[in-house]
Parts: sequence; C-alpha cells; structure tokens
Amino acid sequence: MNYQKLFDSDISNAAAKAWRSEGKKALGVICCHVPEELFYAAGVLPVRLRATNCVDSSEAETWMSSFSCSFAKSILQYWLDGTYELDGLVASDGCMMASRIYDNAKYINEKGDGSKFIMQIGAPRLSNSRTVPFYKEELKDLIAGLEKLTGNKITDEKLKAAVAKQNEARALIKQVNALRRAEHPVINGTDMLKLMLASTNMPIDTYIELLKAFLADVPNRAPITEARARIMIIGSALDNPEYLKVIEDKGGLIVADALCFGERGYGDPLEIDEADVLGSIAKYYLERLVCPRMMDKHTELHDYIIQSVRQAKVDGIIYQRMQNCECWGGENVLLEQKLKDAGIPLLTVEREEQMANAGQLSIRAEAFIEMIEKED
Amino acid sequence: MADVKDLEGLVLRGEMTITEFACAKVDASIERMKERNPDMLWTMEIQKFMWDGFRDAHKNGKKLVFYGGSVPTELIAAFDCVGFYLDTIPFRLSTNPTLTAKYIDEAEKYVGASMCGLDKVELGAWLSGAYGMQPDLFIYNSVPCDSSRVAYPAMEKIIGCPTFSFDMPFRRDERGAEYLADQMEDLVAFMEEHTGHKLDWDKLKYFMENANRNFDLQRQCADLRKNKPCPLPGRLLVLNGTTNAVACYPIMGDLYQAELEAGQMMVDLGMGVCEDEKYRIAMLQNMIWGNASIMDWMQKEYNAVAVMDAFGFQGDIMYEHMDDRRDCFKTMGRKMQNNPMIHGASGPSENHIKLVEHIFEQYDPNVSMFLGHVGCKHTWASAKMVTDMVQDKFGIPTLYVDLDAIDGRYKSGDEIKAQIAEYFETVVMK
Repeated sequence: MNYQKLFDSDISNAAAKAWRSEGKKALGVICCHVPEELFYAAGVLPVRLRATNCVDSSEAETWMSSFSCSFAKSILQYWLDGTYELDGLVASDGCMMASRIYDNAKYINEKGDGSKFIMQIGAPRLSNSRTVPFYKEELKDLIAGLEKLTGNKITDEKLKAAVAKQNEARALIKQVNALRRAEHPVINGTDMLKLMLASTNMPIDTYIELLKAFLADVPNRAPITEARARIMIIGSALDNPEYLKVIEDKGGLIVADALCFGERGYGDPLEIDEADVLGSIAKYYLERLVCPRMMDKHTELHDYIIQSVRQAKVDGIIYQRMQNCECWGGENVLLEQKLKDAGIPLLTVEREEQMANAGQLSIRAEAFIEMIEKED
Repeated sequence: MADVKDLEGLVLRGEMTITEFACAKVDASIERMKERNPDMLWTMEIQKFMWDGFRDAHKNGKKLVFYGGSVPTELIAAFDCVGFYLDTIPFRLSTNPTLTAKYIDEAEKYVGASMCGLDKVELGAWLSGAYGMQPDLFIYNSVPCDSSRVAYPAMEKIIGCPTFSFDMPFRRDERGAEYLADQMEDLVAFMEEHTGHKLDWDKLKYFMENANRNFDLQRQCADLRKNKPCPLPGRLLVLNGTTNAVACYPIMGDLYQAELEAGQMMVDLGMGVCEDEKYRIAMLQNMIWGNASIMDWMQKEYNAVAVMDAFGFQGDIMYEHMDDRRDCFKTMGRKMQNNPMIHGASGPSENHIKLVEHIFEQYDPNVSMFLGHVGCKHTWASAKMVTDMVQDKFGIPTLYVDLDAIDGRYKSGDEIKAQIAEYFETVVMK
C-alpha cells in the first residue's frame, strides 16, 4: 500500500468532501481538549483545524487584531476564506486565542446565514475530583449537540468502539515514534510532523491503514546517519513542517518533541472504566500532557521533557514560542533552570505562523548545533 | 519627605521594598493633597488602608494571603487574614516607569515580551526579591487571561507557600455557579487547615454585608453618571478596579459614600465636571493606570467626560440569603465572574458585547473609545465584534488606541493624547 499521503501536510478537503457526500457531517475541532471519539461515535468526521501554509491572515486580523497569536488568526483566516468546507466547528476554551476563534466564528455565522454548527465546551485548567465531573458534563453537552446535529444516538458502545479505534492509532504512532529513538532513525522530524498532520486530512480508519503500511515498510527505509546533533523541539502549536526542515537542513535531527501536533497529540492509550465510559474520556483528556494551558501540569510537563531528552539521547532542545502565545510563552520561568540543572542545552526562538524568519532561524539553529554537536 | 526619585533609588539598590515604597508614595500624596486639594483626601485614604495593611500584616499578627485574579476576599477577611491583591503592585508602580521597566525586564529574561505587563511586573518584582515579604498563603484563579495562567502557577512554585487555585468556568449559568460553590467549600477547608481556625459564619456575614453595602453604593455612584452633565470625573472610574482588593471592607463603602455625596452635590447644583459638557465618552476598555491624567485632560481640552467604562462597571450581584451557605457561595462565585476585567474580557465575547450595549443604553454616550492594553490580547480579539455593535446599534464610530497600561515605554502619554486629539478634531468635532 502506498503510504505517501502520510507525508502530504497540505490541508486537504478531499476526505471531508467525500464524507459529506454520503450525507454525513464533518466538523472542525479546536484544539486539544475536544475528544474526537465523541465525533466518531456520532458518525461525524472531526477535522482538527490548523493553518499550515497560511501566508496572509489579514482578513482574520481585522477581527482578532495584530495582538493575537498568528496561529489562531490564520485558522480564522482559513475558516473565513473557505479553505475549510465543513458543517461547523467545536472549540474548547483551550486558551484565550482558541476561544476567540470560536467567538468570532460564531458572531460571523450569526450575522450571516447561521448555517454552521458552532459550539464551545469548557475544559477546566486543573485536573482533580472537582474538575473531571464538570468536564464530563461539558462533554454531555457536546454529545447532545452532536446527536441533535446528526440524529444519531451516541451510546457507550459507540464510544468504546471509537476509543478502541483511536487507541489503535495511538499505539501505531507510538511505534513510529519509537523509531526516532534509534541511533540512526528511519524518519526525521520534518516527516514525523507531516505524518502527524496528515491525521487531520483523513478519517481515522484510513489513517490507521496508512500507518500500518508505513510501519511495514520500515525495513526498507534508509537510516539517517548524517546528523550533527539530536534535537528535541518544544513549544507552541507548530503545524509547519518547513520550520523543522530549516533546522534539519543544518544538521539538527529532530528525534523528540513536546508539540500538540507532534507525538503528544495522540498520546498514551485511553483506558476505559466500563462503569463510566464518558467519565474515562473526560479524565483522560484532562490528565494527558499536551499543552501548558493546564495550570497544575507544569512540573509533569517539565519532567516529561527531561525524560524524553534522556530516552531519545537528545543533545539540545529548541524551544519555539509563538508571538502572543502566552501558554507556552511563560514556560521558561521554571523550565530554563531545570534544564540547566540537568545539563541540557536550550535555544529559545520566537516564531510567527508565517515563515518570515527562516533565515534567522537557520543561522541560530546552525550556531546552536555547532555548540552542542559531539565530536566522534 | 524624600523625593520619589530618591525612593526609587532605594528600591533599585534593594534598600527599600516595593511595599514600603508604595506606602511612602501614598503618604507623600496625602501630604500634598492636604495642602492642595484637601476635599479629595478620601480618594487616597483607601490606598493608605490597603498598602499599610499589606506592609504591617505580620506585625499585626495577621496571616498574609497573596492573591491573583478574582477570589472571594470576604472569605480571606473572615479568616482574619490580610489579602494582598497582586495586581495592585503594577497599578501602583505604573507611574514610576523606572521601577516598572526594571521588573518587566527582569521577567522578560524568562517570558515572552507579549505577556501582560501586570503579570510581568508581579513576576519580575518577585524574581528581583523586591516584595520584602513572604506570604503565608497564595490563592489564585484561572482568570483573567493566559498571561496570569502562566504567571501565577510559576509564582506558586517559586514562592513555595501553601496554595489554592480556582478553576473558573467560562459559563455564567447555574452549572458554573454550582461548580464555583463546590470550589468555595474546598477553599474553606484549605483556609481552615492553614489558619487553624474554623470558619466563623458571623464574621463572614459581616464582610458579606459590607460587600453588599459597597456594591450598592458603587451602583448609586454609577447611576449618578447618567446625569447630564456628568457630575463625576472619569478618573474615578479607574478606582473601581480597586474593589477587587477591598470590596468587603467598610473603607470601600466610605470612599463610595464620599464619592456619592460629592456627585450628588454637583447634581443638586446642576454642575458637571466639564464646564460645558459636550461629549460623553464610553470607554470600552479603560486601563490607563500609568496615564490616568488623560481623563482630566479630555475634560479640560474637549469638554469630554468618560461617563462609564467596561472595565470597572459591575452589575448588581448581592448576597440575598445570608444564612444559606450554598446560596452565599454561589453568589461569591457569580461575583468573582463579575469582577472588573473578568466579566467582559475573560468570558465569551458576547458578555463584553452585552456589557457595552448596556452602557450605551444607560449612559447615553456620544463618543466611543477602546483604549486597549496590548497585554489584553483576548480583549483585542473581541474588539471588532464590540465596536461593530456600537456602530450598528448606536451609530457611533470607535477610536482604537493601543497602549500598555503599565509600561510607558510602549507609548508615552503625549503620544496617546495626540491620537485622541486627532480623533476629536477629525471625527468627533467635525
């Protein structure tokens, strides 16, 4: 089976069009705290919204101003200019910028023909015995909304089937990711990100089949032996593989990440408690480490980063933070010292969604790689 | 009394804490006011109460509770603790650009420059060791914004004292109120554990009654602003932000009582703060702490008074059933959601739109301004929706000015004035 579609990271409407042509619904998803399992259980195609290759977000900027994060603005741009052809969108209040995409999209929809399904659910910023039940109630609202939209009843059985499918994808991605831990990996960071982004372009079944095909072909892939340094990349939502290519072109092989579109996007398997299926989903999504928006998970996130550095034999971390992304923008307050204490070199770079600073990134990445590369 | 530059020097050399600096500045302002404007002394008394209280908490045998975002000050007071609202630090330092810049620069060693200046000052001052005090407890909320959601958890780790954090839901309905009431029970348990005292309901009732009185007086002051001409200056709107810190103390009521009497006297005399009021300004955001004199300047230069703002304006959420614990805790939660900056800015944008719509319906403004703090990125991201509503429904165009409420290096007072002047001369007065 040809798995090259896994490495086409351009945004494609093909799958959504095909899905909708069967009379089914396809909805945009913003961002990490909207469980896709619920959509599949309702027969809805979830499309995690992103902004890959957006070069002009000026229309969205009139709504969100120049002080908003350019990733969020670019998503709104794509929503407004018709890049996405979907039946609506569902957002969580992941960060204030995610909320404002929702607010503006809802306002514009109501001013227009009101034809889109636009919904927000609340995702707590703490994970404990108070917040998980609250989040579960929010998910019940989402279920009610999806059932009304589709006419399909979401049962525990359907949820369990959807979880099983997502877990299958999670397990396969874990296998792909494990390949990066090798001394000479068969996949670089740029392709890994493309492979992750591809999940937003297709239904989960197709994605699973392509992942299996890729893994079957691993023995035929050439190991990468030319790297000067092994890099971990962390920071704001990054959906542009070209950004990683600039770093890898300078000899920095990206072997680990803590990106929401990266290996954390799928994460560990979701374990179902038969007595409380929806509660299990709520607990999983609040507890998983995917974004520093969670106020009580900073230490865990830092520990995860350091553990990944050790496991993947990383020589240094590149921490890219999007202008106006406060969630990731403040992570250095505690992380920098922890990395110093652990003897892990760190390069911090500012970024915008549009690749306007590739030259500067290239120079800084090269200097960093020179600093950390080990002589054989 | 030492010159303010000398005091700044002491702080910069680490020979004076920012709390002592703030106390000294307030004392100096009071002395000046006694000579030049004794009728307005009431505006400073609340500042003295606050800052002396913070500084002397431990000396007075009280536990000191740092807090960030909106938290139930009534509960902190009921446990006989002194609450130190961290945002009062950047408010107070905003007129001292040297100190503000120092702490912002300190914070920016670690955080992105786009982080809100308030949080940068709070964080940078702590990293510089400038507070000169160690809190006994820290309480913070997941509002108002992403900046505070990053700054407070980081400060929690650095300060290292027992900490309680709220998770604020975006929803303003019964489910949201119940959720906050549950967390209020958790806070009570936390306070009981760390203060060694059980919650004294009568004490809490006393502070809730104060809060009711204060917010009723605030509402009456706000109602006075509906008069034409407007009897109260725009500058006083900025003081409403102080309610977070002292909303449950009698001194806040004393301030509003004095404000109410002064305003009522003006109404009775048929007078306004402008000699010949021509323009009534609605402020869609109003965080010009470093340049509050712009309000006076607009009154003098253009006979334009800010009649209401969408920052400090609050609704009428009152404690109704003082002996019903659950009802009181739900009301506390609703009040937290209705605090300045939280009510409009941090929830869904439609809250901000409704708030501004209410202001236009009630206060009859004929000028609309969005003096937007650049750190409030989420408010900027709602601004078009809000100002479109103002244009569509009330036919008034809005002036947008970007400024940093805290860091004067971003844009000076003169630059802000120049933008406002141009707007008056080319749009408003045309």
